[in-house]
Amino acid sequence: MGSSGGRLRSLVREPLLHFLAIGAALFLYFHWSGGGSGPTSSRIVLTTGQMEHLVAGFEKTWQHPPDAAELKGLIDDWVREEIAVREAMAIGLDRDDTVVRRRLRQKLEFLVEDVAATAAPAEQELQAWLDAHADAFRSEPRLALRQVYLSWGRHGAQTEADARAILARLVAAGPGARIDTLGDRTTLPQEIDIAPRSDVVSTFGEDFVAAIEGLPPGVWSGPVESSYGLHLVLVRERVEGTPASLATVRPAVERELLDDRRARQLTAMYEVVLGKYTIVVEKRVVAPAAVAAGQGGP
Amino acid sequence: MMSTARRVAVVTVLLVLALALPATAEPDVTTDVGTMSKESAAMAFPPKPLYSPYAGRDFPTRPFFGDTHLHTSFSMDAGAFGARLGPRDAYRFARGEQVMASSGQPVKLSRPLDFLVVADHSDNMGFFPDLFAGKPEVLADPSGRRWYDMIQAGKGGEAALEIIVAFSHDKFPPALMYLPGSRAYKGAWQETIAAAEAFNDPGRFTAFIGYEWTSNTGGNNLHRNVIFRDNGDKAAQVEPFTVYPPMGSDNPRQLWKWMTAYEEKTGGSVLAIAHNGNLSNGTMFPMIESFTGKPVDRAYVEGRAKWERLYEATQTKGDGETHPFLSPNDEFADFQRWDKGNLDGSVAKKNEMLQYEYLRSALLNGLRLGKDLGTNPYKFGLVGSSDAHTGLSALEEDNFFGKVTPGEPSPERLRNIFVKNPQTGITIMDWEVCASGYAGVWANENTRASLWDAMQRKETYSTTGPRMVVRFFAGFDFDARDAQDRMPARVGYARGVPMGGDLKGAPAGKVPTFLVAALKDPIGANLDRYQIVKGWLDAKGELHEKVYDVAWSGARKPDPKTGKVPPVGSTVDVKNATWTNSIGAPELIAVWKDPDFDPALRAFYYGRVIEIPTPRWTAYDAQRYGVEPLPGTTMTLTERAYTSPIWYTP
Repeated sequence: MGSSGGRLRSLVREPLLHFLAIGAALFLYFHWSGGGSGPTSSRIVLTTGQMEHLVAGFEKTWQHPPDAAELKGLIDDWVREEIAVREAMAIGLDRDDTVVRRRLRQKLEFLVEDVAATAAPAEQELQAWLDAHADAFRSEPRLALRQVYLSWGRHGAQTEADARAILARLVAAGPGARIDTLGDRTTLPQEIDIAPRSDVVSTFGEDFVAAIEGLPPGVWSGPVESSYGLHLVLVRERVEGTPASLATVRPAVERELLDDRRARQLTAMYEVVLGKYTIVVEKRVVAPAAVAAGQGGP
Repeated sequence: MMSTARRVAVVTVLLVLALALPATAEPDVTTDVGTMSKESAAMAFPPKPLYSPYAGRDFPTRPFFGDTHLHTSFSMDAGAFGARLGPRDAYRFARGEQVMASSGQPVKLSRPLDFLVVADHSDNMGFFPDLFAGKPEVLADPSGRRWYDMIQAGKGGEAALEIIVAFSHDKFPPALMYLPGSRAYKGAWQETIAAAEAFNDPGRFTAFIGYEWTSNTGGNNLHRNVIFRDNGDKAAQVEPFTVYPPMGSDNPRQLWKWMTAYEEKTGGSVLAIAHNGNLSNGTMFPMIESFTGKPVDRAYVEGRAKWERLYEATQTKGDGETHPFLSPNDEFADFQRWDKGNLDGSVAKKNEMLQYEYLRSALLNGLRLGKDLGTNPYKFGLVGSSDAHTGLSALEEDNFFGKVTPGEPSPERLRNIFVKNPQTGITIMDWEVCASGYAGVWANENTRASLWDAMQRKETYSTTGPRMVVRFFAGFDFDARDAQDRMPARVGYARGVPMGGDLKGAPAGKVPTFLVAALKDPIGANLDRYQIVKGWLDAKGELHEKVYDVAWSGARKPDPKTGKVPPVGSTVDVKNATWTNSIGAPELIAVWKDPDFDPALRAFYYGRVIEIPTPRWTAYDAQRYGVEPLPGTTMTLTERAYTSPIWYTP
């Protein structure tokens, strides 16, 4: 229903819930730190450590320590927040709350993933990863080319014939032919110094690059078609991609290895922890008529 | 750095010009991209080209495309709507890898983006300072000590397994929470920074550090994205600025204060980009500040001009260029319009709000404020970006993965409701969400510093998705021959200023001339026309706007009465979601001279490039899912680009 989406949406904007999300996290902290002023106590104590926390947060935001009035503001707000959190939790507002649940899940997953990432991968581990994924780290092929462009708009039915005429002149002049007065003006580059294949693709399109890769280097060829028109092309140089050494791609290998380890660790955690639970999924009752689901966008 | 070199080059050119001339009364202010002054223009210096046209080339030769505004599961609202992809997934996707969307579908871009800013909402990122990390208790606890030693010995994997087992048997020592480097007690901010650092690959792919400050009081959208030029060492010294008191504020003046504090403390650099004026109900570009009810003052205009260098002109929640009510004579004005109310639909739109919401009217009002207060607060450059909350910057019409996770491709999304406010009855359907847009940035190289510097000098443009290459130069001496040059950029930079720049004090008898060029996306649709939008403040203090067609495809003749070039037509087959490039042109180049120039009046000019009509994402959905769209659904569109303006000041 649209209105349920609207409700969820307005809940997401509800400042109280923002406090709750933080509060739930604080609750965990108090719980684990075994503080004597837990949520069930009627005493509210702002400890030195918590005060430091507030001050550190302020300093990191404003780049200067709070003055007396600002500190009072922080403390007053913290007390309100603490009261709100306790009262809200006492009546169960933290339960079945999407935002609180997602935040808790995120924190638990961070924790598990961190354990995976804490130990730096060993040298041989990195090398093994690189060996197993050599293609992913291979350097891109590189191309150097010159091109003369002909626009269909200017040459019409004559485009191909005109291109062949220019090609004859280019072939006669050779690889060093002067081209800045040949063909039609364009903002496409006439010369590409050696560049990664993907750069050439982003300029001329994949079809064009695939076509010129089959051309003999050092010889004027064409016409080759792109989505812009026809081109006479001299592939000056084509350098194949090469396998990477660990020294050149170490940060990327480490990133990939750790990301993979994180993902596996998370899966492992859920698999292990799953054993603790019995999962019961109740049968779904399907409503007679499907209604467009409302969402509400951020 | 290249960018520094370029600046030095520009400054050097200006210095040389200045030295070559006798001193004159009017001093030049060299801003951003350099200034075309009376003196430098009067020089009309003949460029003596090097024999090799390619030597000594030190200007941006290709634009870099990216998204300055993407949310991931770290944004509380995105997470609540089911986004599972975090910043790492977002960077992975943007650099061209295939990932699994939160809805369980594989997705990949047609080609990589050059850069991405993950800009999650700063509120609720969570702040847990380092003082909780690295507690000695870890080592005092026997299990903690054992695991710590295992990890140190490189047996992290085994340690992790043991820890997980301990977890599941309630034996997990709380002290382990404080393991050095643990993120559980740090905020999402630290992880956001870590992800950007891991994926930033200078020269290949830039992962910017950033966040969104989401001021939304009363449902009126005053959001800003903050983008760091710096690396994690500086960004991690601060916590992002938030909205909720006592730590935060919903007033942009406070955000500027935070930005000032960051720069002073760290020596770093940040800029802010506002978005969705169309959902601000008249508060995005104020003449009267909504926070005080008073006219904007000098402090406001200076702060805004200093920190808010760019504006996000187009995105998933509508286009922000102009509105048919404001620009009744602009036949392209009614585009991806979201004008029912504010962000949450709690207050309906009124016509009198519109001029404070759209960028063209803001540019106009800025001329007036600049004259009255000495600084134009609305002198911004333009970018497009997504504001998607999916971790996926997927904004191609035929590959659109929605604004929120429930809006990822499904047979239902053509008929679903995006937002509905039961009080006002304001309803926006999912089909109204736009597959838009990206930022084009003219930088020398693909690095944080170079891209950020280009943003700071406003050498940027906005596209609604296609990656067209758009040039826009102004000077006093371009002539028709310059449009024949093989390298218009060389001429453009040598004798003019690029998008985002300034023209000052026209020499006697000279009028602004513009060298413009647009090249279609290599896999996209042909171009219909290149237009220049001019706005000016007349001698009586009244504001005017006019749209000129300056280059167009084919042999169309402008209407002798209106001067407008007739429509290009359409090849779209909506049912099959196809089109052909049999109309339009792959490339447009022209030199245009302002026919209505008055050297005494303040003005701005920006370029607008219009593609031929193509199927909208709704047409692809209807075709692929065999779903009948709701009546009134827009099925085609004319994608477009808007350049940053160039301003003329007498």
